[in-house]
Amino acid sequence: MIISKTEFLYRAQTDQETLQLWISEEWIAPQGPDTEPEFSEADLARAGLIRNLQQDLGVNKEGVGVILNLLDQIHSLRWALSSRLRAGETEGESGT
Amino acid sequence: MFGDMSLRDPYEVLGVARTATPEDIRSAYRKLAKKLHPDLNPGDSKAEDRFKEVTGAYEILSDAEKRRRFDAGEIDGSGTERPQQHYYKEYAGAAGPRYQNTSGFADLAEEDDFLAELLRRREQQARRAPGADRLYQLQVDFLDAVTGATRRITLPDGNSLDVTIPPGIQDGQTLRLRGKGAPSRGDGPPGDALVEITIRPHKFFTRDGDDILIELPVTIAEAILGGKVKVPTPSGAVMLTVPKGSTTGSTLRLKGKGVARRDGSHGDELVKLKVMTPAQPDAELESFLSNWTPNYDPRRDMQP
Repeated sequence: MIISKTEFLYRAQTDQETLQLWISEEWIAPQGPDTEPEFSEADLARAGLIRNLQQDLGVNKEGVGVILNLLDQIHSLRWALSSRLRAGETEGESGT
Repeated sequence: MFGDMSLRDPYEVLGVARTATPEDIRSAYRKLAKKLHPDLNPGDSKAEDRFKEVTGAYEILSDAEKRRRFDAGEIDGSGTERPQQHYYKEYAGAAGPRYQNTSGFADLAEEDDFLAELLRRREQQARRAPGADRLYQLQVDFLDAVTGATRRITLPDGNSLDVTIPPGIQDGQTLRLRGKGAPSRGDGPPGDALVEITIRPHKFFTRDGDDILIELPVTIAEAILGGKVKVPTPSGAVMLTVPKGSTTGSTLRLKGKGVARRDGSHGDELVKLKVMTPAQPDAELESFLSNWTPNYDPRRDMQP
């Protein structure tokens, strides 16, 4: 379901200015036009992670960017690896 | 070690002495959280439980008042977890191509057909992904909802959208306009526009499913003697015969003057009469009625 900017700000417990920074740093990438961005639950969970990193773990702005970039790579690798493993299983079953 | 979560001593969980300063506690928490945060350990399901425990302990010890109450034995180490947070890792797989970063294995794909194919399909999928659905609200007049109409919505981006309202639409119904949602970010089809309809009330018509209800004021003479009266319907006024001896609450049915149904037939209009005495004193009526003795008791059913 689409989350509006107002709802996103409320549920992510953040303000307009902070959100603008997150978007310009490409930490959060909402859909839709700039005038009316549309957020998802995944964006909201990502905002939660950014908050954890900055407030709880004391990571600075540069650090957050590095972590998110590596994390996105890890998730893509995990996806590639699990696809590879599943493909391997099917090959095994068809009896080579 | 981490078995019993409910009553563990928060000092023990964070590995700090009872005399630890707030600064000690914070740095102990950060050290553990960096190791255990579920999103920094996406493949380790045990880390999540352990992280909850550490966070719960920190909630107590980082708050001077809670820490004092724990030290005084007024509260135990349980029930202080934060509200459940949804971690990003739960969505990472489904988040789609937006946050995908395949540079971690792009070089390997050059040597591996499977990975190369995976990348190719992923890109294709991203390109073909449809746009998002957009939600709109539209208020329509009562009669437009009954007879059908075309209405134009002006969109936030300045464009407009023509919405054809089918006859007989219900309050709260949603119309789906295919392809009128957000454009695809690649070259997939656009999403749909979902238009939720609210119907404005009418001055004298109301609706009950397919039937139109109206309360029609009539004079005493029309009720007692009967006669022809003009009644509004959604498709224009019609003449209705009020039978002799009608009263307030008598309901007459105008067949087929209601709301259109899907099969092409129509509901009815139900006309409920309401006998109205003159708004101003009427000398002629007064003198006529002073010679009349009613031979009925309208409060018959109200005897105690």
